[in-house]
Amino acid sequence: MTDRLLRHIRPEQFRELILLVVTIGALLFFWTQIPNYFDPRSINRLTVGLAIPLVVAIGQMMVVLTRNIDLSVSSTVGLTAYVVGTFLTRNEVSPWVAAVMAMLLGCALGAINGLLVAYGGVPAIITTLGTLAIYRVVLVEISGAKTVTTGDLPGWIGSLPSKTLVTVRDYDLRLMVAIALIVTIAGYLVLRFLPFGRRLYAIGSNPDAARMAGLPARRDVFCAFVICGGLAGLAGFMYLVRFGNITVTAAQGLELQVVAAVVVGGASILGGQGTIFGVLLGVMLIEILQQSLLRWSGLSEFVKDAILGLLILIAITVDAVVLGRLREAWVNTRRRDRAAARLVMEGGADGAD
Amino acid sequence: MGRIDARRYLRRWESLLVLFLLVVLAYNITQVSNFLTAQNQANLFQLSIEKAIVALIMTFVIISGEIDLSVASMMALSAAVVARLNESRMEHVLAIVVALAVGLGLGALNGFFVANVGINSLAVTLAGYIGYRGLAQVFIEDNSVGGFPGWFTRLGQKGIIGPITFSIILFFIMAAVAGVILHYSGFGRRVYTVGSNARVAIFSGVPVARTRIIIFATSGLVSAIAGILYAARLGAVRSSTAQGFELDIITIVLLGGVSIFGGVGSMVGVLLSIFLVLNLRNGMTIAGITGNTQTGVIGLLLILSVLIPNLVSRAQGRFRRTPVEPQFQAPRPETVQSAG
Amino acid sequence: MKRRTFILSAAVGPFAPAILASVATAQSPEAGSGGAAAPGQEVNMMLLPKFLGIAVFDQANQGAQEAHAELENPGKLDFVGPTAENSVAGQIEFVTNAPAGGYNVVMLSNNSGDQIAPAAIAADEAGTKVVTWDSPIPGAEGESLFVAQVDFDETGTVMAEMARSILGEDGGKFAILSATPDAANQNAWIASMEEALATDEYANLELLEVVYGDDQSEKSYEQALALVDKHPDMELIMAPTTVGIVAAAKALQDEGLCDSIKVSGLGLPDEMSSYLENGCSPEFALWSFVDLGYLTYHASYALATGAIEGVEGDTFEAGRLGTYTIEADPTRPDTGALRIVMGPFSVYNADNPGV
Repeated sequence: MTDRLLRHIRPEQFRELILLVVTIGALLFFWTQIPNYFDPRSINRLTVGLAIPLVVAIGQMMVVLTRNIDLSVSSTVGLTAYVVGTFLTRNEVSPWVAAVMAMLLGCALGAINGLLVAYGGVPAIITTLGTLAIYRVVLVEISGAKTVTTGDLPGWIGSLPSKTLVTVRDYDLRLMVAIALIVTIAGYLVLRFLPFGRRLYAIGSNPDAARMAGLPARRDVFCAFVICGGLAGLAGFMYLVRFGNITVTAAQGLELQVVAAVVVGGASILGGQGTIFGVLLGVMLIEILQQSLLRWSGLSEFVKDAILGLLILIAITVDAVVLGRLREAWVNTRRRDRAAARLVMEGGADGAD
Repeated sequence: MGRIDARRYLRRWESLLVLFLLVVLAYNITQVSNFLTAQNQANLFQLSIEKAIVALIMTFVIISGEIDLSVASMMALSAAVVARLNESRMEHVLAIVVALAVGLGLGALNGFFVANVGINSLAVTLAGYIGYRGLAQVFIEDNSVGGFPGWFTRLGQKGIIGPITFSIILFFIMAAVAGVILHYSGFGRRVYTVGSNARVAIFSGVPVARTRIIIFATSGLVSAIAGILYAARLGAVRSSTAQGFELDIITIVLLGGVSIFGGVGSMVGVLLSIFLVLNLRNGMTIAGITGNTQTGVIGLLLILSVLIPNLVSRAQGRFRRTPVEPQFQAPRPETVQSAG
Repeated sequence: MKRRTFILSAAVGPFAPAILASVATAQSPEAGSGGAAAPGQEVNMMLLPKFLGIAVFDQANQGAQEAHAELENPGKLDFVGPTAENSVAGQIEFVTNAPAGGYNVVMLSNNSGDQIAPAAIAADEAGTKVVTWDSPIPGAEGESLFVAQVDFDETGTVMAEMARSILGEDGGKFAILSATPDAANQNAWIASMEEALATDEYANLELLEVVYGDDQSEKSYEQALALVDKHPDMELIMAPTTVGIVAAAKALQDEGLCDSIKVSGLGLPDEMSSYLENGCSPEFALWSFVDLGYLTYHASYALATGAIEGVEGDTFEAGRLGTYTIEADPTRPDTGALRIVMGPFSVYNADNPGV
């Protein structure tokens, strides 16, 4: 039975299956603990909460695939939210223009990272640890420690966060969630069908081989950073829309949440491994844990972080242990199949056995 | 990259750090009044001494090809344990011993998950980063817990030799010990071997798992020491104690020329980086430059310290008409295969 | 006498004349009288908020700058601060390095609880006065003076009063959304509100829970929504923080919950005007942070120039705000803490929108 399964499914797909089971398990557990957990209201809140980290995580994953990392995303989100917010307090433009502005600004910030990493030879963690601080300083300096407030923003900002596209029995599909889903699907299509997407995996699995095979590794890594920055910029716009009040600390700490989601989602920090579906599950699991722990009355305010840490540890351990076993089994199955095939061929000659 | 290359590369890096350090020192001495007073020099160390101490062990962690994001949370946890036990009237020395044991134990736990279960250290210590501070919150909730015995706070705040405090002396002793272990002992060599190529290390009979566990356990222990010293210096502990220190510490180590991919780095470089960062921060704080800008300047320095040598060597390469790869392309860590 | 002056001037450098003045004051028989400080003296000032990037601290800076210009101080007034996530360690760093930086006064909105006390004591010993504003050092060690925006005990009563006026005479259930667990002022206000709730007058108000949004918009927003889900019978969120109150109001507005749940607390009229109009936040209170910065500057200047000595009973002129007297701080008994109370509260509602 296992053997037959293993012949058709690769271990990475099992990982996603496990993650899916863990996520559903978490949902069911909290359903027993928190009253009205599956109410439209709670579910709507959960999905809206997912939107911003998901958009950032998709970009982060593209970078992680190439065996790099972008820690500067939180400062990019904060900076674009602030800059676009300040622009909107002075100019009347349509939401689309504002969103495109935010993405372009994000792309520019991502391009700086990409230039340094791909063409400057500076390791990604050093580059983005640096720009994490630098983009934040730019934000502090240009803001003069002033705050963007909802009252100064154009009216459409106020109505956008609750704007709903479809409602089925009170379960909303909010615009913010729709944007995040479109980004996710686009990310899936790019990685699955575009040569660029396939190259990202190749570069991450073995950068030297990729370069030797003539792949434009530098350009692709650069592009991954630009995409990551652009999506962080889009998330900055969403952040502005959702929270309205932007201080210089906006989105601080988001980078570790996103990296955690990507890693929990099964993308290897050493590159070349990971799927969009896994990242989606990773973001969902962490967001579900966070949001649910906030709402779990049986729990003191002070034990939540300890439990969150423990749950993440359990999630990655289960994943690693089960996956390790499975990969072993998978390799064995393949080996046995090959051996059997050889035996059949040799056996055919013998005519016996 | 061979060993010789790495060595030459590090020497060049260290020269660059010395140059930066001299520039900053020259600026501080000429522009900042009171810079050379004994009190200011002691302050300069004292204000970041806990980060400097943790940077020493982080050097081992990163050279071995891993990372420990949980150090600052561990500092908070050990400080919280000491504070909580002190509050419940436990003998203070015993409370310190318990806190150190907690640090050692949880550090070893990090190591176990990395070495034996085979999970990426970034993921493991990210969980610790959230969880250990969470445990600190469990112990002291939203309280500020102080009321330490007099000798304990004096130890943290008052100078033993002039304005030089116990923490500063301890740091220099630990730095010397760490330098000797890293560069002149079998264990130090194993750390490099594990970091440059774990698979080769296994085949050549290096006890990779044990080495990793020892490193992470020590990281927990040293973080606990730093947390306790921090508690003594501040005289009160909150669950937010030492928040955000991990990135500062990692920045210091990377600025010291230690490769994030493992296998490359030296204690001299890290010490130079510590002195550079402390002087830079001291000068900027006295000049009234805000916290964000300070962090930004150090971030910029971090990038430039890698970028400049790369650009220089590439320019030289072009001059010689031979294609030269960026100086710093460390080998891929092989941990993923060995860990399954 | 001569020798003492020498030591003092060595400790504070360019500031010797003022110290001489202070010694002279100390010798006068009427200690503790004070008066108006002569403008034009050099005092180097540092204004150190909890962290940069909060509107109210920026307003306090405006007030301090106004006083700085008014008193024609040739010295410097630097508005510096740590990053939000590094607030505690950063504040300690600034206070410790202040004497070496030549500052005569650090004006501190303390976010570090008692953890900053050793640094404040050391600064005080090295000749740099520490004057707190907005949020004091709980044990008062190393602190010369605290400029309180309002009487902290009164804050609790004002919040309880607003809660009752919103919930009606029948009372109801509410929760508090605070800033960081480290903030001494927040904790003092919450404690004083709990005290007020214990009296018969507010007996029908029930406090469900205190949660923390860390003065971050996103965290406060999430916390507000979590409160709504956790307590279906909650009718009010009380946020004694300007960041928390707007975030909570926006969260309830976005989810269309303003009909059943209201937001109140301490908020800036500028930031709150739209929520006042649409009824999400029918009533909230605050004081002028511009005035608080202005008064803190005047008190610090008077203290540093020796116009006042910094003992109980001192009075001084604070420019356009009039005369103030230093008193023992009853909210921190047995610590020897001194304070000036600016007061009073401005309560904003439909009749007084404040903008």
